[in-house]
Order: sequence, then C-alpha cells, then structure tokens
Amino acid sequence: MHELGAVFEIVRTVESFARANGVTKVDTLVLQIGELSSMIPKYIEDCFPAAADGTLLQGTKLRIETLPGNALCTSCKAVFNPIENSGVCPGCGGEDWTLLSGKEFLIKEIIAC
Amino acid sequence: MDAFKVLEIKKSVYEGNDERADSLRAELRNDGIFLLNLMSSPGSGKTTTIVRTIEALRDEMAIGIMEADIDSDVDARAVARTGARVIQLHSGGMCHLDAEMTKQGLSGLGTRGLDLVILENIGNLICTAEFDTGASGNAMVLSVPEGDDKPLKYPPMFSLVDVVLVNKMDAIGFFDFDLEAFSARVMRLNPKARVIPISAKTGEGIGGWADWIRGEVKAWKGAR
Ligand SMILES: Nc1nc2c(ncn2[C@@H]2O[C@H](COP(=O)(O)OP(=O)(O)OP(=O)(O)O)[C@@H](O)[C@H]2O)c(=O)[nH]1
Ligand SMILES: [Mg+2]
Ligand SMILES: [Zn+2]
Repeated sequence: MHELGAVFEIVRTVESFARANGVTKVDTLVLQIGELSSMIPKYIEDCFPAAADGTLLQGTKLRIETLPGNALCTSCKAVFNPIENSGVCPGCGGEDWTLLSGKEFLIKEIIAC
Repeated sequence: MDAFKVLEIKKSVYEGNDERADSLRAELRNDGIFLLNLMSSPGSGKTTTIVRTIEALRDEMAIGIMEADIDSDVDARAVARTGARVIQLHSGGMCHLDAEMTKQGLSGLGTRGLDLVILENIGNLICTAEFDTGASGNAMVLSVPEGDDKPLKYPPMFSLVDVVLVNKMDAIGFFDFDLEAFSARVMRLNPKARVIPISAKTGEGIGGWADWIRGEVKAWKGAR
C-alpha cells in the first residue's frame, strides 16, 4: 500500500495552496486518477481522513474522478482503451500505438467557501 | 451562507517528488556518480544480475549497491560477498522507492569515490515506474518465465526504461517465450529502449550489458 505517502503529499500541497489563496475551509477536494495509475481510489479514500486530521483539510470531502486509459493507434488513428483491448486496436487489429493518457494522478481543484 | 467557489489547482501529485529527483540527479552529475535504478517483478533475477555486473566491472570502476528489499538482508548479504560496498535500505513495507528515500540511502552508503551505484528497487512493475528515484539511468529485468506479453500489461514501466534485460535465457527452451515478438512490443512502446537477452546464471549476455553501463558512466562523467 503506497497511497498513504501520496495522500500526505496531497494534504501538504493543498494546505499551502489554500493558505496562499486565503481559503480557511475546504468543502471538497477533487482528485483525478488515471486508470493505469497504481493508485487505488478506495485506498486513497480510506487514508485521507487520517492524513487530513489536524490540518486545514480536516472534515473536507474527497471526490475522485477516474480518467480513462487511452491509446492512439498508429495505423488507423483510432483511440482505444489499451487495457480493455489487451493492447490490440479494435479498429484494425494493430498493435502499434502510443499512450495518450491513463497514468495521471492530479489534484484537480478545491471547492471552498 | 457563503457561496462556494471552485479553485483550480491542476497539479500532479508526483510533482514534489519529480523536483526532488531532479535536484538529486543534478547533485550526482556534479559528483560524477551514475545511479542506475534496476527494477523487476519479484524473483526475476535482479540480485543475481547485480552480482554478475559487479564481477564484470569491479576492476575498472568503484561500485556501490543499494538493496531495497522489504525488511530482509538476504540480497545485501549475497552482494556483500562480492566485496562491493552495499547498504540495505529498510523500506518499511513500502512498494517503491522515491527520491527522498534514495537520497537517504545514498548518504547511508557513502558515495565518496564511487563511479556507479546500482539501486535494486523493490520487486514490482507498477508503482516503481511512477516514482522518479533521481537515477541517471533506468533498467528492468524481465525473466523468460514471466511471458512475452508483459509490455502489453505494464506499458508505463516499459515506456520508462533505457534497457530491458531478458533474463533466464538458459531456460528459454522450457517456455513459449517469443523473444522477437517481445522485442517488437517493447520497441513500439519505447523505440529508444535496448533489449539485451542475458542469463545471470551462466553469464551469457552480461558482456553487452556491461558495455552499455560503461558507455553511460563515461558519458555521465563527461557531461559534468
Ligand atoms: N535458470 C536461471 N535462474 C536464475 C537466473 N537468474 C536468477 N535465477 C534464479 O532466480 C531466483 C531469483 O533470483 P534473484 O536474483 O534473487 O531475483 P530478484 O529479482 O533479486 O528477487 P527479489 O529480490 O526477491 O525480488 C534465484 O533462485 C536465482 O538463482 C538465470 O539467468 N537463470
Ligand atoms: Mg533481489
Ligand atoms: Zn488501428
């Protein structure tokens, strides 16, 4: 389980962002996690309250958006999910592609009052 | 009641680590130390490969090894028998190393006078690919029994590495591992990667791997 370290980093980053922007209470924190990321949303949710305890983010709601894994087929330019299709383009059967997205782990935004 | 407002942050969670990794890389470049991050699944042959690598290069460069196994020093002891400087990092149940842990490991090892440091990362093909350790070069070991379809399952890892060592070639007769198909899959994801078939058991292919390291260490020092 490696989510805890990342969650502490998130709390630190968001706290200093909030302070710099004069925010004293964060209602919701929105994260984006790519499908090919090793970060498991459930584990992030589980350890967030502990990491946020005693910080400006105590009591903040967490929302996680999943970003799909997308590959671009080199021969037919189709965009497809490389995991669901086992690395084979469903359009032309090609195995030649580049990864467009899916590895992200982003702090998207906060909703504050 | 106050109105809610949305404040966009759009920042990668890895950004802090990436910055620490870049500054560690710059320090190592200044000191002329090439840090090689070696990754693989558990049991692919990282430790055996490291022992072979030390034997091939120890007469021409000073080598240090960092072993990052999960709380055992079995690998560190195996490596220490070669006479190389080695440190066991206790990663406390973590599944990858980040730049900060790597930096601590380097100061524990003591890098003075070293030309090459090899980091045996934790056995895992997923999150080790996401955390930049500050290494100057990244390599992985994929052993023949694991199958030639692994690039399709772990694209981030195969996209990242400079070298893929295909290990346990001595046993290829027992498995349906198609080296050509495997290399083609790696090349599609990562045209710059070098695929080097080896057997850490017999020593086959270690010469080509040692040549690659030699070239990299020289270039790294030359770029100072
Ligand atoms: N046949 C064969 N066996 C090998 C080869 N290289 C390593 N092995 C064996 O594979 C097993 C695992 O090798 P290690 O070098 O310990 O692998 P590792 O990647 O360091 O393993 P962990 O640190 O536990 O993740 C050992 O029993 C080795 O003797 C090889 O080239 N051929
Ligand atoms: Mg080992
Ligand atoms: Zn296609």
